[in-house]
Amino acid sequence: MTGQWLLFQRLILLPLLREPMRTALTIFAVALGVGVVVAIDLAGQAATGSFHSSLEALAGRGGLSITATGGVDEMQLGKLARLPYPLEFSPRIEDFASLNGKGEAIPFIGLDWIASGKMQTLSATGTVANPVLVSRGLHLATGSPIRLLINDALHEFTVAGVLDSEGDAIVADIGMAQRVTGKAGTLDSIEVRLPNRASTDYWQRLVEDHLPASVHIAAEGSRTVSNRKMLAAFRSNLRVLSYIALIVGAFLIYNSISVSVVRRRNEIGVLRALGATRTLIGCGFLAEALAIALVGSVFGLAIGRLMAAGAVRLIGSTVNALYVSSEPGAIQLTYATAAAGIGLGLLVSGLAALAPAMEAARVTPVEAMARGREEFALAQRSQRAVWWGAVLLALSAVLSQLPAVGRRPLFAYCAVLLLIAGTALAIPYTVSLFVRVAARRIEKLLGVEALLALGSLRAGLGRTSVLTAALATAVAMTVSVGIMVGSFRETVAVWMDNQLQADFYLRPAGPAAADRHPTMSANVADRLERLPGVRAVKRIRAYAITYEGLPATLAGSESRSIQFLSGENGEAIFARLDMGDYCVVSEPFANKHNVRAGSTISLPLAGVNRAFRVLGVYYDYSTERGFILLSRQTLLRYLPDPAVSGVAVYLKPAVDAETVRTQINRIIGGRGILLSPNARLRRGALEIFDRTFRITYALEAVAIVVAVMGIAGALLAMVLDRRRELALIRFLGAAQIQVRRIVLFEAGLLGLLANGIGLMLGILLSLILIFVINKQSFGWTIQFYWPIGLLVTALAGVYGATILAGLYPAQTAVRMNPIEVIHEE
Amino acid sequence: MALLEVRNAGKVYGSQSAPVTALANISFSVDAGEFLALVGRSGCGKSTLLNLCGAMDFPSSGEVLIDGQVTGRLSNSALTCLRREKIGFVFQSFQLLHTLTALANVELPLLLARMANARRIAEERLHWVEMEGYADRFPHQLSGGQQQRVAIARALSQNPRLLLADEPTGNLDTATAEIILRLLRRTVDEFGVAVLLATHSREGLIAADRVIALRDGRMI
Repeated sequence: MTGQWLLFQRLILLPLLREPMRTALTIFAVALGVGVVVAIDLAGQAATGSFHSSLEALAGRGGLSITATGGVDEMQLGKLARLPYPLEFSPRIEDFASLNGKGEAIPFIGLDWIASGKMQTLSATGTVANPVLVSRGLHLATGSPIRLLINDALHEFTVAGVLDSEGDAIVADIGMAQRVTGKAGTLDSIEVRLPNRASTDYWQRLVEDHLPASVHIAAEGSRTVSNRKMLAAFRSNLRVLSYIALIVGAFLIYNSISVSVVRRRNEIGVLRALGATRTLIGCGFLAEALAIALVGSVFGLAIGRLMAAGAVRLIGSTVNALYVSSEPGAIQLTYATAAAGIGLGLLVSGLAALAPAMEAARVTPVEAMARGREEFALAQRSQRAVWWGAVLLALSAVLSQLPAVGRRPLFAYCAVLLLIAGTALAIPYTVSLFVRVAARRIEKLLGVEALLALGSLRAGLGRTSVLTAALATAVAMTVSVGIMVGSFRETVAVWMDNQLQADFYLRPAGPAAADRHPTMSANVADRLERLPGVRAVKRIRAYAITYEGLPATLAGSESRSIQFLSGENGEAIFARLDMGDYCVVSEPFANKHNVRAGSTISLPLAGVNRAFRVLGVYYDYSTERGFILLSRQTLLRYLPDPAVSGVAVYLKPAVDAETVRTQINRIIGGRGILLSPNARLRRGALEIFDRTFRITYALEAVAIVVAVMGIAGALLAMVLDRRRELALIRFLGAAQIQVRRIVLFEAGLLGLLANGIGLMLGILLSLILIFVINKQSFGWTIQFYWPIGLLVTALAGVYGATILAGLYPAQTAVRMNPIEVIHEE
Repeated sequence: MALLEVRNAGKVYGSQSAPVTALANISFSVDAGEFLALVGRSGCGKSTLLNLCGAMDFPSSGEVLIDGQVTGRLSNSALTCLRREKIGFVFQSFQLLHTLTALANVELPLLLARMANARRIAEERLHWVEMEGYADRFPHQLSGGQQQRVAIARALSQNPRLLLADEPTGNLDTATAEIILRLLRRTVDEFGVAVLLATHSREGLIAADRVIALRDGRMI
């Protein structure tokens, strides 16, 4: 063992330490790759996986929850309490409130204070007006007055005590909660506490028999479960995106070990001649990769933990905007996560180093002395590799057509990997071809320095190809995600042009979220309709529901400006919508639940499971939660609460909008209602859109940084390897500036090749992203658009970064003393 | 005026506390069209002296003049011009760029100097060393002697006035070495180039017009 450790030290570790800059760059590339994966995992867990739905704050554990669309009739509580079972039934009101009408939405829970034991928490300060209990995290002192915006009204309360609860919450007595939330006579849920060691399934079946068909009973935490299911696709895609940086890192490990093998061919030959076995040689290089990976992965954990804090914010705002109200949990770097991160770094690096390590093991002593032959052989192999690349590309095309597996586009992910691998195989031939075709033109255009740079790239074909592949992969990711996001944005913008036709929109104030539908009084819309400048007012009321285990939204709307996938004019559909139990569904809903025009869906409403015939599927980009849209009058028939979630106001032609706006403000004055002109609403929607993709832009940036750092390290290695040649060129009369130009041209040519290949690969990847992965994950149709400005900026930025990466290696080349170098020979 | 003049040149390496004297009190001159051999054992200072004569290094004491210019007083750009236009180098290990063909290797200094008709001149030089049939071969496809001929063609590509050859036959067999030495002789006779040959071979001594012997960094 001592002997093997000495060998490892002298043959592997010391060479790494002799090139501290290059080694550091490779380690840092691995660290970033692992760090990104760990950060996304930690942040995803904190933002989505470890949370409970905010509304389940202060809920018991291990019991059952009874819910219904539009609320459970409170009379049910009395009926259930009289059942001859050892069960405890507790009423709950669940809503959201904003402190002083600003800031985050905090869960507002109504409980029976006596039954739930909350009376003990009340301070002994005597009777207070509208007492509430607040969680410690809100930092409110007992006795302090607070104002809460609930739906469209501000209410005054007094803090009567502080709770030690998981997550923020404000708790009121059930009666007061029903009053302030406008839910008199209904309850949002009835919690059922079970006897100890009881089978949840048994009691669920027992109680279900006593409930009307439209009332639902499920295990507590089921909302969390259904939200997590919905978020699974989002998390998967984010995780896959985070792996791109690691894949780029893998290319760089491959390159680093390949460089080691090439440089040390003579040494390998000597070692083999002295009795070293092939296994020892191969394991030695594998050990080099694993040593770099281990150090890099450990640093990666630290980097990942730091990045997770920022990532949680980004992911959390996306989750809240598009999916569900949630409060991120704490970021927890557990031993398991750390082990997984390090394991992943070691695995990817080990796999990446396998091929060059095996190549090193195959080198014979005689071959090791023949310089130049291995690159000549690679040039020949590159032609064969193109055919294999074509096979992989074809396979990728086939896999991309296959359906999702459990709502995950697994075949599409494989298609992406094959596309990258197939392109990587074709790169050596592409580089050779480029050099052959472009050499004379480049020399005429840019001079002998560029020609020498080109020659160097061709001579080091193996190394050039891997570097090009690494940077091209990062560029491709930038291009593909840029096209996807750009296309998505343009699709949403066009959709808003069709969808948002009203002049003003009103909703209850407070932060918006996909699963919250606060209401405002129905008379607001009635008064708006009577304004002289108003042509029409369209109302919508929405309820958060669960359909087939996934969150969805049920709404009744008077609006008619929606676009159907079939392209047909909506008039006939809308006419029928008013006539009975008909609905239209959004595209994400249709894809999730395999529903089409003509299908029938069942909705539990007003005591009965009712069948609704689907008349059409429409485009909807406002949320990934599916939408079931009824006509407002149909919804009112089953859920007669006239309060509205939102109002759209259409003005008469040639009416002064500002005048009407002033009139509207007079009507809604003193209420917590937000009035948005059309333009502001669109701007706001696009801002939310842009915010949701910040995390993907961050991931792209990391991948580019990893690739560019790899280029810097590799160029440095190339300069050191070519010091004899560069010194000789100085002997032959080259000025220092010419030597600097040679290295910078190499960087520039690498950047040019990578940008070109990355652009083409990125376009192909974007097709899979837009038409397959996005469709199978989220169900949206995205129209393809070219975000030319974004692409040009991104490619120019990458190219510039690549040139910058060449500066330090160029300076190293210039600083070399030609005499010392020549005499080293 | 001599083409190359070395006046009491000395070269010391290392620190003040542990100096190493590579050369001391070297004085000689070389005229155009003269073939001078530097002879001595390994480590006697031949390569160091060639570096001083080629303006790749500078004496610690004394002076080296090329065409009347003191090399130690020239700026970096002037030195680059000097090396480019007046001096050619031939090395023991050939020092061809393995990424370039034979012809491209010969053409390289011309391109670096941005000379017109670089290709034509390179082809002429390659023809002169009888290697035109190997123009498209890479160095690893040539024998040692062939590589050295290409190296000589490269060294002559810009019509230097002074050719410095550091043991050019050291890695070659006797027959090939004779070919190379004859080529160097032709260089002197046909182009009037001054050749300074560092060698410890008998054939090298015979080919030269004059011999300077070195021992432990001094002329003997």
